[in-house]
Amino acid sequence: MADFSYIPQVLVSGLGIGCVYGLIGIGFCVIYNASGIVNFAQGAFVMLGGMITHGLLQRYGLPLLPAALIAIAVVALLGVVLERVVVRPLWDRKATMFTMILATLAAQIVIERLTLIVGGDQPKTLPVFTDLPPLQIGGVAVSFQLLWIVGASLLAVGALAAFFRLTRTGKAMRACAINREAAALQGIPVSRMLAAAFAISAGLGAMAGILITPTQYTAFNVGVPFAISGFIAAIVGGFGRPFGAFLGGLMLGLVQSLAILGFGAGWKTVAALSVLLLFLFIRPSGLLGAATK
Amino acid sequence: MSVVHALPDATSGTAPVLEARALAARYGHVEALHPIDLHVAEGELVAVLGPNGAGKSTLLRAILGLVSNSGTVSLRGTPLPRQNPVAVASRGVVLVPEGRGIFGPMSVAENLELGAYRLRDRAEFARRRERVMTLFPRLKERLTQVAGSMSGGEQQMLAIGRALMAGPQVLLLDEPSLGLAPRVTEEILATLGTLNGEGLSIILVEQKAPLALELANRAYLLSVGRIVATLDPREITSYDELAQHYFA
Repeated sequence: MADFSYIPQVLVSGLGIGCVYGLIGIGFCVIYNASGIVNFAQGAFVMLGGMITHGLLQRYGLPLLPAALIAIAVVALLGVVLERVVVRPLWDRKATMFTMILATLAAQIVIERLTLIVGGDQPKTLPVFTDLPPLQIGGVAVSFQLLWIVGASLLAVGALAAFFRLTRTGKAMRACAINREAAALQGIPVSRMLAAAFAISAGLGAMAGILITPTQYTAFNVGVPFAISGFIAAIVGGFGRPFGAFLGGLMLGLVQSLAILGFGAGWKTVAALSVLLLFLFIRPSGLLGAATK
Repeated sequence: MSVVHALPDATSGTAPVLEARALAARYGHVEALHPIDLHVAEGELVAVLGPNGAGKSTLLRAILGLVSNSGTVSLRGTPLPRQNPVAVASRGVVLVPEGRGIFGPMSVAENLELGAYRLRDRAEFARRRERVMTLFPRLKERLTQVAGSMSGGEQQMLAIGRALMAGPQVLLLDEPSLGLAPRVTEEILATLGTLNGEGLSIILVEQKAPLALELANRAYLLSVGRIVATLDPREITSYDELAQHYFA
């Protein structure tokens, strides 16, 4: 049986992974709000964030921070490419939800396999951002990487909130989420807003991937599990609610960590999917209630 | 060299602001609007009347390119892009859709701001906003309120105000009276009359024909996707006569 004195420690690390799930979940919501599309290539962005940063460090010897920022920018751009090449042509033809899901899933597989060909099948990792021994806070070890994850995630969430609340483009994106047709009737370029949504989601995904890689590893095939967790976070939070998704991610991270402590690592996925089922049965509209379309 | 000028418009002597030629619309394989010709002259208020399901909303949606359409729509002689509502709206053809389409969870001020999404000129923005506040003083008291929490009439005022923020060349309205109390309807239609009096060209789709005919310079009567009559409101003396058109 598990030793319950570990619980605070486990909760602290659950917070870290929870932030990462939350960022990925926000990505799902931002695209869904702009278009009604559930983007199943979200995991590819997460994987590419870690892989590209690793490539920039290894091959070009860049310092970590610039490498991470470049990777985020490149992945955000890839998000726009995905929107232009895969999503927009289908969207213009008024493709059904199923077509969209299959198309983005196909894109996920293509990106995954291309990464395998280019980067090989060996797992890679990144150095921790701050190489110091963990802080001891009331008997709980808090690693600097955890501080990075939580700090950067909160910063990203805050910046996103400000963007949606204060900027012209952010407000226009919210308008598209509320009523796309009415937004178009005001001359708001709805398809450009969709591209912006893909850029934001991809950037957040890449950021999540970069933040978590030093505590684990990255490889061509890490995307899908992360995407599934992010998707669950989005549903738990109330689909289409970016900040709900972040809370959902935190909750999922904590539950997973407790499950690992209580029952062993093999139960991690069981815990995640149980949370999903529980919410679908008891509160299908999520923590904050699904966004009304 | 000889230049052939466009024929002047019969009703006002100037080229039409908006002109549709052989405009048709379909939903899938169903032709909802058979090819029609329609125009709005500068400063004219044109009513589009007809029973439920006559194709009135479809006509407006076809002008904007919200449904798959054929034929041409021109703004002051320049053809508008097809199937591209964003581009059509950006040229100043602004539709207040059926059901208003306001951004409910956002504030009144934000809704108005988004109406002027294309406008970069701050002074012009302030002018337009001031104008909307004068037309609809009730909106001024509610700028910070969440738009969806207002009454139906106030939401309709906001929808029209938001459309005015876009600086329309021609304003299209789809049943602005839908679901509103008679007094509010009269207030809103009176405001449309004021706007039209200042020279704004308007196409008004209305189920309540008598109210629309009071304002209109001209009226098209639609039935089963075709224009069955063009009416001069001054010649309609009794509603029995109008009813005959409806059931002809």
